[in-house]
Amino acid sequence: MNPVIRLPRSWYPADSVDEWGRDAHLIELLTPAATLRWDVSVGGVHHLPKRDGALLVTNSRFFSLSTIYAAWALSQTIGRPVRFGGRPDIAPLGPLLQRLGGLLNKPEEISGALRAGELVVVSAKGTRDPRHAGPVDPKLIAAAVSSGTAVYPVASISTPFGRTARVEVGPVVRSRRKRRGPLAELELAELTQRHIQRLIDGLGGLHTGVAPIDFLAEG
Amino acid sequence: MRGQRVLVSGMGGELGSLVASLLEAEPWVGSILGIDVDPPRRRLRRSEFHLIDPSDRPRIVDVVTGFDPHVLVHLAVWEPDARAGTTRAKRLTCEAATSIISAAAESRSLEAIVVRSGIEIYGRGRGSLTRPDEDAPTHPSSEYGRMVADIEATAHSVGARIGVAVSALRLAPVLGPHVPSPLGRSLRQPVVPFSVLADSPFAVILDSDAARAFVAAAEQRPQGPLNVVAPGAITTMQAIRRGRRLPLPLVGPEWRLVRHLSHLLGAPLPEHVMELIHRGRLADGARLTSALGITPRVSTQDVIDRLFEWEAIVRIPASQAA
Repeated sequence: MNPVIRLPRSWYPADSVDEWGRDAHLIELLTPAATLRWDVSVGGVHHLPKRDGALLVTNSRFFSLSTIYAAWALSQTIGRPVRFGGRPDIAPLGPLLQRLGGLLNKPEEISGALRAGELVVVSAKGTRDPRHAGPVDPKLIAAAVSSGTAVYPVASISTPFGRTARVEVGPVVRSRRKRRGPLAELELAELTQRHIQRLIDGLGGLHTGVAPIDFLAEG
Repeated sequence: MRGQRVLVSGMGGELGSLVASLLEAEPWVGSILGIDVDPPRRRLRRSEFHLIDPSDRPRIVDVVTGFDPHVLVHLAVWEPDARAGTTRAKRLTCEAATSIISAAAESRSLEAIVVRSGIEIYGRGRGSLTRPDEDAPTHPSSEYGRMVADIEATAHSVGARIGVAVSALRLAPVLGPHVPSPLGRSLRQPVVPFSVLADSPFAVILDSDAARAFVAAAEQRPQGPLNVVAPGAITTMQAIRRGRRLPLPLVGPEWRLVRHLSHLLGAPLPEHVMELIHRGRLADGARLTSALGITPRVSTQDVIDRLFEWEAIVRIPASQAA
């Protein structure tokens, strides 16, 4: 069949969407815009597996979009797609976030991605205090337990007005006791929260340099 | 297990003819019998074919029980707006599933039923999984999804009643050089509509890969559903770009008008294709490899490329045709 139109080759690549709907080319296009908002320094990536799937749980301040910038920064650092949970399922935001690597925050969805060997960042319950890790949903941890993948704590700190952000990956969370039932995910969820809190405490604070308005930096 | 008798319903369709021709080359297959409302689309050497309407149940029962199959490969599924409109497709599919599966259940030698299903069975309602595997709950949200869900339910109830293995191959939208497909037809139009608000990804499967999966399932007889999906994914806009069609960006209410126009131009957009364009359609096909040991050879992007390469009409000079 003859082509109806001819488009310039580099205009829009025709094969940049992967099997989960993540569009590497779109992410590349949006990276300069993301860099304007966040200047993320990443640490602890040596803990992450090279090929296998893993569930990364990060703390979340309200409206900080911590899963998005953590997934983006980790992906840039390790050169491997990192997806994030928590995209809505309403157009146009849902499909747009799907192109950026977003997954629904459903345990079945997260579990499917982990079984497929993907790295997925999900967030603990949002808090007002940026230096406090909220509780971790045991259902999301159950997705990792059922798919036999490791859980890693990730501390993320950003400021509402500045660009500076930090993402620190901790070592794999291991439960001390082997459980056969749902206690496995309940205990692992609590342990993950404690690990994230320890990582946040270890990061120290971000400072404006002006003591009375230092609270602004802790966004 | 040599000399197995295989009954192929829907042998007249492109997929049915392809499955029959592959079965003819299998050493374990003894005899093949086909039933359909249309004659087969390719030359079959060992297969016996019966042109029977699905509503003619007494004749179907006579032919099927007389053949006494070991395996039933049920491909008599009419995708809406592929070979028949939605209402007719639904009637034919329902009648074929009831009469052929019921007739096969009367055969004493029957050991397995393999049915054609589709990944439309998972549905694409709000909150549905992006890439469901076979364990995901089924909530069909289109007429075609409900049709294949009914086929699976019929096959499973019959299988449980008479104690035979039932496998359902849930195919991604099937495309092929001669496969009547509403998705393929609409993508090959000079102007192709797509949703600006949600250009979601989907996967497809090439007819020959789907046929290989049916032959492997008929031989190995796994229990339960298996997704048959080509690797990779593509969005409607990317497919338009690969085919160098003219994209028609749409937002909402104008879709109704475009659907009518497309229908008039000979490329109707049924409910499940509209759902695919707006919500995407992916599925996890990893279990197919572990269960049957086969992997689709052609990726989704390559199937779409081939879709635009297939000739619309193959003209054969009169002297050659004679």
